Amino acid sequence: MGNEAEKPNIITSSLDFLVNWGRSNSLWPFPYGTACCAIEFMSTEVGRYDLSRIGSEYVRFTPRQSDVLLVAGTITYKQAPILKRIYEQMAEPRWVIAMGACASSGGFYDCYCTVPGIDHIIPVDVYIGGCPPRPEAFFDAMFDLQKKVKDESFMKQRAESVKEQLEMIKAKTAEAKREAKASVHEKVTDVKVFMKEKEQNLVKKAQFWKE
Amino acid sequence: MIVLDPNGEKLNLMPLNVGPSHPATHGCLRFLTAMDGETIVASVEEIGYLHRGFEKMVERGTWQQVVPYTDRLNYCSAIMNNIAFCRTVENMFGVEIPERCKVLRVIVNELSRINDHFVCVAAAFQDLGGTTPFMYAFNPREEIMCIWEKLTGARLTNSFARIGGLSRDSYDGFEQDVLNALNSTEKALKDLHACLDRNRIFLDRTVGIGKISAEKAISYGWTGPCLRASGVAADLRKDEPYYDYETYDWEVVVGTQGDCNDRLQVRLAEIEESVKIVRQALKRLAPGPVDIVDPRIRVPAHKLAYQDMEGLIGRFKSVYEGIRVPEGEYYCGSECANGELGFTIISDGSGHPYRIKVRPPCLTQFAAFHELVEGGLLADSMAVLSGLNIIAGELDR
Amino acid sequence: MTVEEIFAALEEMFGAKREMQDKWGVTAVVPATYLHNAVQYLKDEAGIKFEMLVDIAGVDYLTYPNHEGPRFAVSYAFKSLSAPGSRIRLKVLVSEDSLKVPTVSDLYANANWYEREVFDQFGIVFTGHPDLRRLLNHVEFVGHPLRKDYPAQKRQWLSTNDYLLPELEKRLEELGYKVVQRSKEVETNDNEFLEGSIKE
Repeated sequence: MGNEAEKPNIITSSLDFLVNWGRSNSLWPFPYGTACCAIEFMSTEVGRYDLSRIGSEYVRFTPRQSDVLLVAGTITYKQAPILKRIYEQMAEPRWVIAMGACASSGGFYDCYCTVPGIDHIIPVDVYIGGCPPRPEAFFDAMFDLQKKVKDESFMKQRAESVKEQLEMIKAKTAEAKREAKASVHEKVTDVKVFMKEKEQNLVKKAQFWKE
Repeated sequence: MIVLDPNGEKLNLMPLNVGPSHPATHGCLRFLTAMDGETIVASVEEIGYLHRGFEKMVERGTWQQVVPYTDRLNYCSAIMNNIAFCRTVENMFGVEIPERCKVLRVIVNELSRINDHFVCVAAAFQDLGGTTPFMYAFNPREEIMCIWEKLTGARLTNSFARIGGLSRDSYDGFEQDVLNALNSTEKALKDLHACLDRNRIFLDRTVGIGKISAEKAISYGWTGPCLRASGVAADLRKDEPYYDYETYDWEVVVGTQGDCNDRLQVRLAEIEESVKIVRQALKRLAPGPVDIVDPRIRVPAHKLAYQDMEGLIGRFKSVYEGIRVPEGEYYCGSECANGELGFTIISDGSGHPYRIKVRPPCLTQFAAFHELVEGGLLADSMAVLSGLNIIAGELDR
Repeated sequence: MTVEEIFAALEEMFGAKREMQDKWGVTAVVPATYLHNAVQYLKDEAGIKFEMLVDIAGVDYLTYPNHEGPRFAVSYAFKSLSAPGSRIRLKVLVSEDSLKVPTVSDLYANANWYEREVFDQFGIVFTGHPDLRRLLNHVEFVGHPLRKDYPAQKRQWLSTNDYLLPELEKRLEELGYKVVQRSKEVETNDNEFLEGSIKE
């Protein structure tokens, strides 16, 4: 015990730095792999390139547990609602990488059935060029995303969201008050009717038991 | 939903949706099942989530511009699709490609087949919960990818073949690289067999799962390793030989049961056969030209454009106008990794394809999917799916 | 027996004509009324049995230079496994007014999806098909994209996901089950279901 106390075991840091450090080094991707890029992502995962080096080893196949939506492959109009739904299911904070030419711009499929870039449906943080991009390009994008994550301020976002929530609560209470005022008359009459009914019920019950 | 079964008993079924974004549906497939507990009672499939309009897009370009689109049909073995398409058009011209080109095409064809089968087997293991074989199978695959990089400049979508030849000749040291890749392929095969052959868990999950009889498979139009696993020795490389496949010493691999395990074992055995073919082809690789000398079909070499007038004109014409394929319609199928990849081509004699219809091998296999999974467990449907090796790019075009 | 002899038999029995465009193989143009019989003949009775239907392709001849005759065509490719290497193709011409071809999905199991694809891409109706709906394009798609008069870049958004439950019920009934109470989710106008959909 004494030995441990001698060692300095307290780190002082800003909360922003700490949170961003944690976030940026454990970006768990959700591979929304549809086409060729997904095969290249598989190569990125295994031995030679090894995505686990930057803390993204856990490929999560549920949007609830993942941080990065990795759209790898062409998105068609038939898929668009599904992609949007998956994005909406992801918890904040969430980021999106558009991997490959098809996801970024539709690629060379300029056709009746392909969405010209997923930014028509969901916001995108990092685009990767290439058809399909090399694993190195994918790593580069992950580093870019890490930089972006490190620039974000957790405290500021939190303050903003708290402010938003406060405003929302205020607006809601104001609305509720207004409604309450409007319905106060009705309610009073309602209560009167209700009491009367109750009284009658009691009387009925009493009569029943008497008999 | 509440249903009465054929005996008149009441059942409470749960509809359960699988896909299109599901870890085991590599690519985008979807099927909706009616579940009685863990058992699948009925299943319907839906495809088209990766319908990228291949057939509409190719009508807008020239004939040589079709080649990059064919890459993205079966992206696990892109070169094979290039060669299948180029072979079809060359047959329409009625030209014979040079000997060196033939042998080189056989080599890259079989290396692609190895590549594709490795992805299938690795992904099947991964879906059944085995990560180690996934890593084993991807090591030789990465080596072949390195050869592709040196040979074509791209890792996955290579666009290597051209109508009337290849985009470039092989590089110095190609033979040695291929031999090294073959050696590590054989090593990986040994490792995979050690993981697979006597693995109780794996056998329990694949033997007798997703059985299909030969008659049914033929009625569904199955081709390739999946049909051969049901015991039908049909291989276009033997039945309608091209590129002198009949002169190489190799066997058609046939399964007996037609179940999921057989489909994977047939693939592994086919890798061995492909290794044999490549070893023999490497011995036949003699120096010579790889392109046809005919400016109406193949672009003349770049240096000719600077040296003489005809080379310049030929190059100009074939780049700006494209080649003119003879008028008519033609169907030709080639044996690709998943089965028969066929192209129905209709040409009106102009520089653009009038209509190209792809016959994807995956479509027929996925059409029979409900027959394979009904009556089985939900977890078994994943084993069946990965054994079929459905590639969405080819399925939906 | 060769493929040429089978073509001669087709010519005699069903009035088939040789497609001169196919210079590399044998293609027989069969009248639509005899198509089913001709396919049955190829499958069961011919000297070489064509066990496998390889492909069905639709064609739109709208912009084909110097084309005479009906606008559409459907071509069937067959392959024999008992006599490897034998292939034959049938072709049916379809005029723009009728747009009807008899189905062969009762003979070959894979014809089901092939015919759905041709219907999806060209709008050719296969009479007698058990479940003729779109295969590759989504449910809200209007028009038939591979027709030559459909602009390649005319895009159509899908507002919500495709629905499969009615098809599942159909499949259950095929297997001998009887749906007593439908699933709650069958109501397509379910608001919760539409939540994640794309709104303009």
